[in-house]
Amino acid sequence: MNRKSRILAVAAMAVIFLTAVILAVHFYVKPKSDRVNIISGGQIVRTIDLSTAEDCQFDIIYEGRRNTVEIKNHTICVISADCPDLICVKTGAMGADSSGPVVCLPNRLVIEFEEASADGKSG
Amino acid sequence: MTNTKRIVRAGLLTCIALIIFVVEMQIPLPVSVPGMKLGLANIVTVYAVYVLSVKETALILTARLILGAVFSGNISALLFSASGGFMCLTAMLILSRFIDKKHIWLCSMFGAVFHNLGQIIAAAAVTGTLSVFAYLPLLTVFGCIAGLFTGICAQTAVNRTEKN
Ligand SMILES: [Zn+2]
Repeated sequence: MNRKSRILAVAAMAVIFLTAVILAVHFYVKPKSDRVNIISGGQIVRTIDLSTAEDCQFDIIYEGRRNTVEIKNHTICVISADCPDLICVKTGAMGADSSGPVVCLPNRLVIEFEEASADGKSG
Repeated sequence: MTNTKRIVRAGLLTCIALIIFVVEMQIPLPVSVPGMKLGLANIVTVYAVYVLSVKETALILTARLILGAVFSGNISALLFSASGGFMCLTAMLILSRFIDKKHIWLCSMFGAVFHNLGQIIAAAAVTGTLSVFAYLPLLTVFGCIAGLFTGICAQTAVNRTEKN
């Protein structure tokens, strides 16, 4: 490996890493929207306005698999699920300090802020 | 090297990868992000990229992915680990032509980046939403660090075994 290609490779890695760090911080920026979409199996099954939503609990079922969603104090989270990894539960509440989506891959569930998708499309 | 030796070597490496994989399942991560893992079993893949043939490396990875899914009892995760794993492998196989054995850690880091990319693309396809890409930066930061570590491990292994 010559000096030039080594510098190029290290520089490329540094750019990727720093870009990721900057974008990762963005993940924790407070959301601009109050509206969340609940997407199950690729379909929007519910849209909720967190600023006006009453506290409640409901189940989202996809092909017999369940995620129990709770709305409390204008935040939304998955409180229990029958997926193997329970990452969706451990992710915690969305709306208070995180704008990142709650994702349950085994049960094909995504809870996202409405504008999050638009952000994703524009980069 | 005879065919028998090759088969035994590939089998042993698959075993090592699986053992690392199973042990890693017991290590809890402080954060829970979909798809975030230390990926220590990748040490074997990185090693194989630099020492074994393309075919053998792909076979070891395939066996580890399928058996790993069976052992972890999370078959549905196979789709994501496979898309990530093969994207990572492809990237490393191409890069290993340019990156020499003194810079395996660098190749491993690039591999980790592509692993995360592959996972997220599969996740976006499966959930039908682009918002899962919000996790890509976090996964990349973590993946680069984990990839550096696995790369250093693999590099040490490659250099030690070459001396003998
Ligand atoms: Zn889940």
